[in-house]
Amino acid sequence: MPESRARLFGIFLTACVVGVASGLFGIGGGVLMVPLLVLLHHYGQHRAQGTSLIAMVPPTGLLAFLAYYRASAVDIRTGLLIIPGIVIGGYIGSKIAVQLPAARMRRVFAVILFVLGASEFFTPLVRWAAHSWH
Amino acid sequence: MHIFLIVVLGFVVGMLVGLLGIGGGIIAVPALVHIFGMDQHLAQGTSLFILLPPIGLGAVMVYWKKGEVNLPAGVMCALGILLGGYFGGLIAIDLPSNILRALFGLFLMLSAVLLWRKSKPPATAPAGGGSGNA
Repeated sequence: MPESRARLFGIFLTACVVGVASGLFGIGGGVLMVPLLVLLHHYGQHRAQGTSLIAMVPPTGLLAFLAYYRASAVDIRTGLLIIPGIVIGGYIGSKIAVQLPAARMRRVFAVILFVLGASEFFTPLVRWAAHSWH
Repeated sequence: MHIFLIVVLGFVVGMLVGLLGIGGGIIAVPALVHIFGMDQHLAQGTSLFILLPPIGLGAVMVYWKKGEVNLPAGVMCALGILLGGYFGGLIAIDLPSNILRALFGLFLMLSAVLLWRKSKPPATAPAGGGSGNA
């Protein structure tokens, strides 16, 4: 399926927005890229996931990483120790995933993520409010 | 310090990445903050460092063989994320840690909603699509 230039440009602009989230929150961006390819650019789920994955083979977070690195906000030693576990765990995890009902797992995880997000959102606010109260 | 714990954390993050097809950063950042007591900026910078190598390469091969990768669109996504990431990184560095953490919480809640929606099996995308996000 060849892409028109206009559509490719639209995808580029979408990716720029995803990139800002990636740099802002220190994440890969696939969690946004996949649904946006599906919702805005009418990709099928698999094509969106495959395209998002290949986009992340080059070190797309490099410029964001450098911004953090210059501000000394990187713990390289801890990072190096985490990488091998992710590779091995990712392999085992995807093997298990094939055997399990994925939709239900995603839902359970979505609920956990939402609760975690709410606590990350409210804890600093509560602390800040408590500070300014006294 | 807790080298063993860090390696185990990497393994657990990898398991979730493989199981759920979601990003490693979205789990690694809160884990680094809560388990290792890192500051929000340090956790995000370290997460970006972890994501530099192509940890999704194995998954890409699977999608590539099935023809579910749009290479020109993938290149556009990579460029967009690279550029956007730079600006996201610059914004994040200047934000106070607690504000950044609250924003990250909002982002987690948004991701949870997207993940929940993705778990509804639509006709075009069978459930259990594998690891979609790097």
